[in-house]
Amino acid sequence: MCPEGSPSGPLRDLPSANTKGAVNSDGALAAAVLRADRKAMAEFVAHCADCVYGYVRSRLAPRYDQVDDLVQEIFLAAWKNLPQYRGEGALLGWVMGIARHKVEDYYRQYLRVPEPLEEAEPSTDGLAQLPDLEQLLDRDQLRRRIQQVLQRLPEAYRLALIWRYWEKASAREMAAKTGKTEKAIERLLARARAEFRERWNRV
Amino acid sequence: MSDQYDQDLQRLADAFDLIEPGPAPSRVKAKIYSALMRQQAQTRRLMSLSEVRARGEKLCVFERLVQIAPVGQSVKSLNICRVCGMRALAERFDDPPIYWAGCPYVDLKNS
Repeated sequence: MCPEGSPSGPLRDLPSANTKGAVNSDGALAAAVLRADRKAMAEFVAHCADCVYGYVRSRLAPRYDQVDDLVQEIFLAAWKNLPQYRGEGALLGWVMGIARHKVEDYYRQYLRVPEPLEEAEPSTDGLAQLPDLEQLLDRDQLRRRIQQVLQRLPEAYRLALIWRYWEKASAREMAAKTGKTEKAIERLLARARAEFRERWNRV
Repeated sequence: MSDQYDQDLQRLADAFDLIEPGPAPSRVKAKIYSALMRQQAQTRRLMSLSEVRARGEKLCVFERLVQIAPVGQSVKSLNICRVCGMRALAERFDDPPIYWAGCPYVDLKNS
C-alpha cells in the first residue's frame, strides 16, 4: 500500500523495497532488475504500482480510461532509465518523480491545444463558501467535494488547476511547457478559478 | 495576477491531496509486468531460470519444469510467462483464479 500524500509532499519519506536483508534494499532491487532478473521485475512492480497508480488516477480523474496506459508508460520509462538510479534515495520516490513528469507531459499536451472555451470574467472575490479548514469535521467529505467539483469542470480548466495548485507549477512554468504566453495561462487559470467557484457554490 | 481565489485554492490544495490511497488493481500490475518483461526480453536476454533458482528465488511449477529440462540456457532464458494461461487470466481479472506458488502473477495479485 502506498503512503498517503503527493510526490511533492509526504511521499518524500518513502519506504524502501524489502529485499532479503540487503544493506541498500532499493539499490539491490534496481541492480537485480538491471541483471534481467524476472522475479526482481515483479517485485519492482509490486513495490511501486500502488503509489504510481493512485497518483496518476488522482491527477487524471475522471479520465480513468487513460490511467492504465499512462501508468504502464511510467513503468517503461522508469525501467529504461533505471541505470541512472544511483540508489541514493528511495526507489519509489525516484519512480514517482518520473510519474510526475509524465503527468506533466499529459497536461502539457492537452493544454497546448487552443481552448474553445468562452471567456469568463475572472472574479476577484474569495471562496465565499470555503469552510474554515481548522473547523472541518469531515475531511473526507470535503475531499470528495473538491474531487466532485474538479471532475465536473471542462478538462482544460481541471488540468490547469491541478497542475497549478496541486502540482505547484507556476504560471511561468506552465507557459514555458505549453508554448503559451504567461498572460494566456493566467487568463486560463482565472477562468478556471471562476468556474471552480461557480460549481463549488452549486454542489 | 493573483486574487483572493488564487490563495483560497492553494490553501485547499495544500490541505487536501486528491490521492485516495489504495492498491492498484492486480490486472494493472499484471499488464505492467508483462510489458516490462516483453521489453526486457527484446533488448536483453533474461536471467536464466537456473540462475534465478541459484539466487534462492522460488520458481513456479512451469518454470521449474523448464529449469530441469535438458535444454540449453537460451531456452531457460526465454520469457515463458508469455505462453502461460496464468498471465492471460491475471491480465484480464482483478481477482484471477490463480494460485501457483512462485508464479510472479500470483505474487502481484497478493501484493
